[in-house]
Amino acid sequence: MMSMEITLALIAVVLSLILAKVSFVAYKKSHLRPALYLLMAFLLLAVKKGVELLQLTERVERDVGLAIGGLEAVFLILLVLALWRR
Amino acid sequence: MERRNEVLEVIRNKPGITFRQLARELEIGIGDLQYHLRRLEKEGIVFSRRIGKRRYLFPKGFEENAQRLLIAISTDTRRRILLLLMRGPLSQGEIATSLGLSQPTVSYHMGELKKLGIVKTEERGKSVIYHLNYDPETIARIIKEYRPSIWENLADRLIDLLTGIGDEK
Repeated sequence: MMSMEITLALIAVVLSLILAKVSFVAYKKSHLRPALYLLMAFLLLAVKKGVELLQLTERVERDVGLAIGGLEAVFLILLVLALWRR
Repeated sequence: MERRNEVLEVIRNKPGITFRQLARELEIGIGDLQYHLRRLEKEGIVFSRRIGKRRYLFPKGFEENAQRLLIAISTDTRRRILLLLMRGPLSQGEIATSLGLSQPTVSYHMGELKKLGIVKTEERGKSVIYHLNYDPETIARIIKEYRPSIWENLADRLIDLLTGIGDEK
């Protein structure tokens, strides 16, 4: 069960990084601000999943609930900003 | 030396030609062509710009034009718009209908092409008509050889998605 959770977290990190790269290329080409917000959002998502992964593998023993919650909130704010307006 | 002059002549006549096209046109070996191009680039007579998977060659003095052109064709939608405008002037609505794009997406790309000076506008009654404002042969040559990477393809779709937000259709 634990290894399944680790695999899923790893997949989420890889996908977040792929989406961050796509957003980066889109921003470089267009200089659209929403692409920049998406880039930051996907990077934060990768960091969040990375922290969760560290906790799952017991490399971090502290309670990271607050940090994860904060990252989630910022991720969602960036998504809203990306959709707001060009 | 004569061969090098031939290479230079073709680049001057066909700015934006790719290495492959040039080799094909002159029927010259890859090694020979690489040697001549290195010399010409070192002397500052020609320069090259890489975009997508291709390297485009331009004569000296074409720097600003090359930059504008390569930015103009760097997204899939803009390439399709430029190819469409080669057939004749069109309004924003006609472009959107022909390419199956939303009005905001077309508006964004036309704004960018206008800023780059690749298209110009003409007001006809209530609608704005877009004309190509650059040598169609050069645009066609560059677009024909353009090979975007998978990242660029995905980024192009994201750009269209983001610019299409707010479409009322």
